[in-house]
Amino acid sequence: MASTKTLGVSVLRKEDPRLLRGQGQFVDDIQIPGTKHAAFVRSPYGHARIVGIDLSAARAMPGVLGAFTCADLWPDGAPELGALKQTPGQKPCPQLPLARDRVRFVGEAVAVIVADSRALAEDAAEMVEVTYDALDAVTEVHAAMAASAPTLHDTVPGNVAARWTQSTGDVEAAFRKADRIVSDTYRMQRYSGIPMETRGILVARNALNDEMTIWPSGQWPYVQRDLTAAHLGLNEGQIHVIHPDVGGGFGIKLDLYPEDLVIPRVAQLIENPIKWIEDRQEHMLTAIHSRQMEFKTEIALAKDGRILGLKVQAISDNGAYMRALGPGNVSLAICGLPGPYYIPHYRAEALCVLTNKSPTSAYRGAGSPEAAFARERLFDKAAHELGIDPATFRMKNLITPDKMPYQTGLVSLEATNTYDSGDFPRALREALDRFGYDAFRAGQAAERKSGKLRGVGICAYTQMAGVTGFESAAVSVDKTGLVTLVSGAAPNGQGHVTMLSQVVADAFQISIEQVKVVFSDSGRLPTGLGTFGSRTAAMGGNAAHGASIRVLDKARRVAALLFQAPVEDIRWGDGGAYVDGAPDNRIPLKDLATAAHPGGTRPADMDPGLDARFYYETDQTPFAYGVHVVGVEVDPETCAVKIDRYVVVADCGTIINPLMVEGQVVGGIAQGVGGALLEEFVYDDTGQMLNASLLDYKLPTSLELPMIEIHHFETPSPVNPLGVKGTAEGGAIAGHAAVANAVADAIAHLGAEVRTTPLTPSVIHGLIHVS
Amino acid sequence: MKSECDITVTVNGTRHSRTVSARTLLVDFIRNDLGLTGTHDSCDHGVCGSCTVQMNGEAVRSCLTFAVQADGAEIETVEALSTGPDLHPVQKAFMQEHGLQCGFCTPGILVTVREFLSRHRNPSEDEIRLALSGNLCRCTGYQNIIKAVMTADRIWER
Repeated sequence: MASTKTLGVSVLRKEDPRLLRGQGQFVDDIQIPGTKHAAFVRSPYGHARIVGIDLSAARAMPGVLGAFTCADLWPDGAPELGALKQTPGQKPCPQLPLARDRVRFVGEAVAVIVADSRALAEDAAEMVEVTYDALDAVTEVHAAMAASAPTLHDTVPGNVAARWTQSTGDVEAAFRKADRIVSDTYRMQRYSGIPMETRGILVARNALNDEMTIWPSGQWPYVQRDLTAAHLGLNEGQIHVIHPDVGGGFGIKLDLYPEDLVIPRVAQLIENPIKWIEDRQEHMLTAIHSRQMEFKTEIALAKDGRILGLKVQAISDNGAYMRALGPGNVSLAICGLPGPYYIPHYRAEALCVLTNKSPTSAYRGAGSPEAAFARERLFDKAAHELGIDPATFRMKNLITPDKMPYQTGLVSLEATNTYDSGDFPRALREALDRFGYDAFRAGQAAERKSGKLRGVGICAYTQMAGVTGFESAAVSVDKTGLVTLVSGAAPNGQGHVTMLSQVVADAFQISIEQVKVVFSDSGRLPTGLGTFGSRTAAMGGNAAHGASIRVLDKARRVAALLFQAPVEDIRWGDGGAYVDGAPDNRIPLKDLATAAHPGGTRPADMDPGLDARFYYETDQTPFAYGVHVVGVEVDPETCAVKIDRYVVVADCGTIINPLMVEGQVVGGIAQGVGGALLEEFVYDDTGQMLNASLLDYKLPTSLELPMIEIHHFETPSPVNPLGVKGTAEGGAIAGHAAVANAVADAIAHLGAEVRTTPLTPSVIHGLIHVS
Repeated sequence: MKSECDITVTVNGTRHSRTVSARTLLVDFIRNDLGLTGTHDSCDHGVCGSCTVQMNGEAVRSCLTFAVQADGAEIETVEALSTGPDLHPVQKAFMQEHGLQCGFCTPGILVTVREFLSRHRNPSEDEIRLALSGNLCRCTGYQNIIKAVMTADRIWER
């Protein structure tokens, strides 16, 4: 009997041929005759009162079907786009779908025009006259908290929208016992995911079913459906959401944006399908930003290098509003900051401060890259002050396997931070060995004497993998033997068609070609959650697995009846059922599906159909982890950074597709490298972004990245049936911290202290030459 | 100058005669007038390469080209690589090496790679990185794209 093993196999992706042929169906590729196009009028001011909006000239322009302000679309009061979760004492500062009285960041939408084409809509947008009364803007968190700062929201005095403390153990007692206390402040810059496909939404009226069909370029279609229905006063069943191909998400498409409400609302007033595709400049200005966080840190140490306690104050620059996931990053940052290290005495204060910039929200890692950067910089400083090698310092403080599962005692807005399984010291040891760390250190003094600036950076990290709640799956087998999975996941490049095909094919012992996968179509599956927070393997995979085994139960019961044998004697293999001992007499899936069909042969107490819908629900989040060790060389004249070597040792539990896991690690590292060396949204102090294009916001190209060496070992997770963990965010978490540490190490002997990123050549030059 | 112009363009071997607005970008003409949505507009200022098509044998940015500039030209888009059931060797190589994730930048990269490999044999990693430096990808970190180009160089008989 042949066994079709698919789990753990680097199966080539089923989604590839279509995408390679240019047959992707990204939202702008979905072309419905009669579609009209929207363009937005956006604020040129960082902070201003809206005195008046005159749409008369715009409305008279050729090809214009309508032009609307907030008051036009919502005369009885507009819905508010606010935070979905609350921290203690959090103050509301939601955004309106179109600004009504005030604009609070450059690019904030003020009016919308719908016309025959985007070009005509933009022509009309230029004819809109908005009268503004400019107000003082504030673009930096300490300035925003100062008494003299302009107040962005009347509901948020002092511009502090959230402030709370979390702690474990007795940190004051720990500090009293310290042989040494080391402190410093670290700042990560504002940057973001910048997917290659900008945002977009297409809304069309389905007159047959009296529904509004929405194709969102998003990461949580069902949540978008639910919130849209709630805000527009519709039943959920009046909205049909369909997940298109999505060209990168990274968390940036995980929000309910103003445009997500405006376009459906406009579609209620104008009968045509309405499409809005964000252009790149709009994206730079208004898609969610992330990462901008300042950490004031203090660590209590024993002289042998043990960490006794850690205190942190994390200030997040949250931008002008807190929308859906506004408080999330800093919550995850303070709960993730201890990472894989044993720090039972810990206190962290988190602040969300408002500024006149684009609202911030989750971006790959969502708080953990920020926290890992601060922690790993602080650890290098602490090790240096104690005269201990930074690798030795880390090894001394990692949580050991005997402590697993390890309860940190920290609960964030998204997870309880209990590390379910793993061997952190093994990951560090193997990463250091593979890198050749000892030899590097041994040779570093001589290299420095010869004027070479070479450094090594380490980051050990844990990663929440993946966000829980629930995920849904419906599996059905048709009379031709095709197994269809409808999943509540919403992929944006991860290869989930293939990954989930592997899970289903493994359960049914069939080839992945016999599995069809459809995502987040509310016409086929009533609800789901989506793809974010590295959750789809753990959540979507276990949902698909659960639905599959329920279908197999039914299939075995049908087979038992057809074979006239007890169900305990039915075996499954090679896509069919047989009686134990007689594998050559097999009933294939398609015949079992036919028998299960109404009117066929099935047990009297069994519902017809080889199908099952299953919701996988859990509050236990798996945690992946790993260690990155990076070697860099800094050119002493140009201060350009070259990454010589990049070694990863990671554990993301049971691996479903090794090739795709590697792709996620490398992709995440690329974004981490971008953060460490290149990327930043630069604002002037009036709130104008100075680099709102890809010419001036530097994304890593093929020239900036090395080949990454990746080694995995697998400790199955005990918290879900498949033993899987997510992996997508680890590269972004550790990449930024490890590369920053490597550059810091390369220039440390020159007296340079690295406390911020990006480490551009001009920044490095300043660090070297100021000392 | 006129605001509406008549143009004739050959795209993937088929001749099209259309009247277009003078300001229509080539990428929008290809996508909206001809319905060939494989070519993507990601930055519309010529930096990212997602809009790359071949015009008269050279890779060009279709977001920085007006449709009227393509009058009389021969254009090839990603859709030209494979017209039957089999993928082009370059496409096969990308699939083999997991050289794409979301697929949005991929058409521009395939057009760039096809041109590069039609002019170079046995390129080094550094040469490939340089050839790809005008194409941005946010998903893959480029590693597997480079491996795909090396594999394509080996398997594409040209």
